[in-house]
Amino acid sequence: MASPILPEFFALLSVDLFALLSMLTCLLEEKFPKAISYIYVMGALMGFGHLWVSREFLIFFGDYMRFLYSVLYLAIALANVVAVNLYLAISKKSWTLAKAWSVVVTFPTLFISIFFVYNYGHLQGAAFPLLMLQLVLAGSVVILGTSISVILSPALLKKLRRR
Amino acid sequence: MEIRNILSKKSAKLLVLLLINMLIVTVSAAMYYSLSMTSTIDVYAAEVYFKEGTDNGTSGLVVMLGGQNTTAVITGLRAYPNASLTYTDPIRVRNNASAGTYAQLRLVPVTNPSGNADQFVYIKFMLNATTAEYKWLNYTSDGSTWTNPTGATSWTVTGIDGGEEWPIVIYTMANATATATSSVTIEITVDVD
Repeated sequence: MASPILPEFFALLSVDLFALLSMLTCLLEEKFPKAISYIYVMGALMGFGHLWVSREFLIFFGDYMRFLYSVLYLAIALANVVAVNLYLAISKKSWTLAKAWSVVVTFPTLFISIFFVYNYGHLQGAAFPLLMLQLVLAGSVVILGTSISVILSPALLKKLRRR
Repeated sequence: MEIRNILSKKSAKLLVLLLINMLIVTVSAAMYYSLSMTSTIDVYAAEVYFKEGTDNGTSGLVVMLGGQNTTAVITGLRAYPNASLTYTDPIRVRNNASAGTYAQLRLVPVTNPSGNADQFVYIKFMLNATTAEYKWLNYTSDGSTWTNPTGATSWTVTGIDGGEEWPIVIYTMANATATATSSVTIEITVDVD
């Protein structure tokens, strides 16, 4: 039998997002303040602490409370993803980079997060919806691939339109 | 040379961050995995169990309780031809918890009558709740086939309080032409919530 989703899954997802942000901001360090990568590492580390506290006080915290503070942490991680996107677009005026970021990072992370939160809320304690997840991921990959192709080669879109 | 230095500086930073992040993500995943394994279930003696009623030992009726008193076999129940017989207190359900701790009960059919439908009119089980929340499981026969309960009874509303004992009343009646050696076996359970 598949394991049900625990509320802490969202905290784990947030840790991954902070780790991703840390790596990407390091890769694009000329666009960001130098300390930002380390701040995101701290964010990921806080997520680990969050999981630890959750485990130690598992008996005292109810499911609803665990879900709320895990989703709050996920919301903070997602807000950072969007904030970096806006920072690139508005403050740095790197439109191409901002578009690429929105397609490669913001859209998939928001999509996946909403998917899991919706499923947890809808079928609390249910097993991972593997078939639906695969379909959603396949759809996500198609959209992502098309978007990346269009961004890297805008002429492709024009060609497609002409046909 | 300068570009090479910058590149190597960036690569080193990236490598350090990658290692740190991998470590954090791995231990977080391990922590999550251990969380899913943390649920512990302890074994306790059942608070709600069966107990012999006052009818036990009368007219050949014998109640044999199983381990932990959570199962019981009643033998020696009689059914008279064309006459109803009521066992008002053959077996009881006891809630051994402290007063104020309520448990909800319901009767559930498990195994339908083993046969001899032509020999019986009915066999009925009633959970005799003191708050008049009677729960019935009725097995009736039309002389050729048994009509059995289709599912569990509804749950009690108030429930059995800690320290209370509720009898399960059994009503029997055999067919007017029934023969003395005929018998039937029925299995039911008492669900506790």
